[in-house]
Amino acid sequence: MTSFPADSQIAAESGHRPARRRLTWARVGRASVPYLLILPVLGATGAVLGYPVGYLVNLSFQRYGLPELIQHAGHYIGLHNYWLVLHDSVFWDTLRRTVIFTAANVSLTIGLGTMIALLLVRVSRFVRLPLTAGLVLVWSMPAVVAVQVFYWMTNFENGVFNSILGLGQHDWYATTFSQLGLVTALIVWGALPFVVITLYAGLAQVPHELVEAAEIDGAGPLRVFRDVTFPVLKPIFLILTSLSIIWDFGVFTQPYLLIGREHQYASNYLMGVYVYIKAYSGNDYGQGAAISILMLLIVAILSIFYVRKMVKIGDVQ
Amino acid sequence: MKRRKLIAVGFVALAALVFAIAAGGVSGATKAKSITVWLQTDAQATNWTPIVAAANAQFQKDHAGVGVNVQYQSWGTHLQKFDATLAGGNSPDVIEMGNTEMTKYMAAGAFQDLTADKGSFANSSTWLAGLAASGRYNGKLYGVPYYAGSRVVTYRTDLFKKAGLKVPTSLSQFTTEGQTLLQKFGKKGFSPVYIAGTDWYFAMSFVFDYGGNIATRVSGKWKGALDTKKSIAGLTAFKNFFNAVSRASKTTDEAHPNPYDVYAAGDAASIVGPAWYTCCLGKVYTPVTAQFTMPSHTKGQVMPGFLGGSDLAVPVGADKALGEDWIRDYTSNASEKALEAIGNIPNTTSLFDNSKINERAAARSWFVPTAKNWVNVENENILRNMLAELLTGKLTVKQAAQAASDNIASILNAP
Repeated sequence: MTSFPADSQIAAESGHRPARRRLTWARVGRASVPYLLILPVLGATGAVLGYPVGYLVNLSFQRYGLPELIQHAGHYIGLHNYWLVLHDSVFWDTLRRTVIFTAANVSLTIGLGTMIALLLVRVSRFVRLPLTAGLVLVWSMPAVVAVQVFYWMTNFENGVFNSILGLGQHDWYATTFSQLGLVTALIVWGALPFVVITLYAGLAQVPHELVEAAEIDGAGPLRVFRDVTFPVLKPIFLILTSLSIIWDFGVFTQPYLLIGREHQYASNYLMGVYVYIKAYSGNDYGQGAAISILMLLIVAILSIFYVRKMVKIGDVQ
Repeated sequence: MKRRKLIAVGFVALAALVFAIAAGGVSGATKAKSITVWLQTDAQATNWTPIVAAANAQFQKDHAGVGVNVQYQSWGTHLQKFDATLAGGNSPDVIEMGNTEMTKYMAAGAFQDLTADKGSFANSSTWLAGLAASGRYNGKLYGVPYYAGSRVVTYRTDLFKKAGLKVPTSLSQFTTEGQTLLQKFGKKGFSPVYIAGTDWYFAMSFVFDYGGNIATRVSGKWKGALDTKKSIAGLTAFKNFFNAVSRASKTTDEAHPNPYDVYAAGDAASIVGPAWYTCCLGKVYTPVTAQFTMPSHTKGQVMPGFLGGSDLAVPVGADKALGEDWIRDYTSNASEKALEAIGNIPNTTSLFDNSKINERAAARSWFVPTAKNWVNVENENILRNMLAELLTGKLTVKQAAQAASDNIASILNAP
């Protein structure tokens, strides 16, 4: 507060009109350069993100089904779509399932990713090279192809798993838990390379002297990781985890294709699949839009909750 | 300076002119030069394409200079693609629709009214009643019947002969025969009757055979009927039959894997499904293959089978006159005869031939409730879920049927 009067005082003192105008032109020119530079980005973002989101919000306030689609005109019904969604037990069941699914996927991805990254640092170059190459291959495999490979491995009649494990004809898709477990395996497998390679790059930034000093002081490997490595890598963990939450919460391709279009039931929906079935199979575009907006809010809340918690961990230490 | 400006203005004007001509030319060209027809990939079979080509030739004879652009769609995605064209205003001029998909789109106003021209379509007075009903809504005609398909049992004559078995005339006889086959040839994974666990077309046949139903209309409202005593008896019979004779996955569907692939691999003595399964049984077993109609639990009767089929409709915004003309050519008497010759059921009873097994099977058939929201029951896989639950024992038959019945009622009664 105290700085305010001082600032305005300075401004008033230097307020000779002609001098100020000359100065202002130059200043405006110089000051506007960064804004001009960022303008294309803002414009593009506004066009590709702002317009669809605005359209989505608008759609979520309308009754928009197949007849409206054909007539190209919806009916505004206020918050009724939201009311319907929030009073649908399928929505709440799906949300609970998806949050648990996301938590499991993100912790497995980050946990395993960290361990493999730490491993990469320790192993010799002859091991590191093929391992990295393998990771890159996994990363470059399209999700649809990966689904086919997993489907083949878990096939009922002549799957690889049943053959190798000697399970006879085990049905890998018999329960929701088993179905989503396979989807988790597929997603974690596909997401690991990105996490591992990013963390591996980050580990190169951890000062050797610090680790050595800690070890000389008698810190075990866990202690070193917690007090030396982790604080350095924290920004990377923050970004990786936030991105993973966003990806896994809205995941569609893997569950829809691996479990199959014919076997998406209210008892195994994930949010991404649920919104697709509501909007496109059920032709209720208005409710679909409302669910999308709610998903957006939920992901934002989850991310904020997580980021705050991470920042707090850092504060304590 | 001035000259440069002039040149610039000239360029802009020229560009505008070129653009205007191009735009005018393009929109003028697409309007009258061709029609777009969406058929399902079934019609891409080598013995089917000549029938499409013949219709196109006839059409082009009548409309010189108008091209026909036939695009083949798959069952899994064609509705979503169609929705997108409805939103974008570029729908095809003719579309093939599955008979269970029609009602929702007719109710939403997606098709043009063809009632006034009904008489101009071949055999319209003798159209197959079950199929023709799927193209009518509120007394108006929106879909012209195209062809139907019935479901039969395709079986290995060599295995039946070796085991000394005859074509069964009742469900209980078929069950005992299945168990005999299992004892004789039952290597690992072998099914006397391969049935995908969630094949709801087959399972609902049991429901109808025992006098049950999926849903009924009671004073303007839909009421789920799977929880009735008769339906539960049917579902229980299905479960018992499945457990006795099928080693298929209890949670899979009739496309993963295709039953004919299981048969071609030698892993099944018989498969249930559409009569056209004979197309793809492989070189080894095709010569020792025959078909019979699925026997009812009442001795000597045929179990009612699902009557699948397709209609042809003209979407809103399409060229109605041209679209109708193409449909007339494709559903002509000659065309339907050709469709029958490759194993389909023609759209008219006047061509029926009782020596053909698929047409005999069609004589006793069932159909899904004609509710505008029915296709949502299919899309949300309510029946498949119920079958998976009752076969795996997650729920009892009664519990699973009750849950599905409630679910179906709420979907069908939704606005």
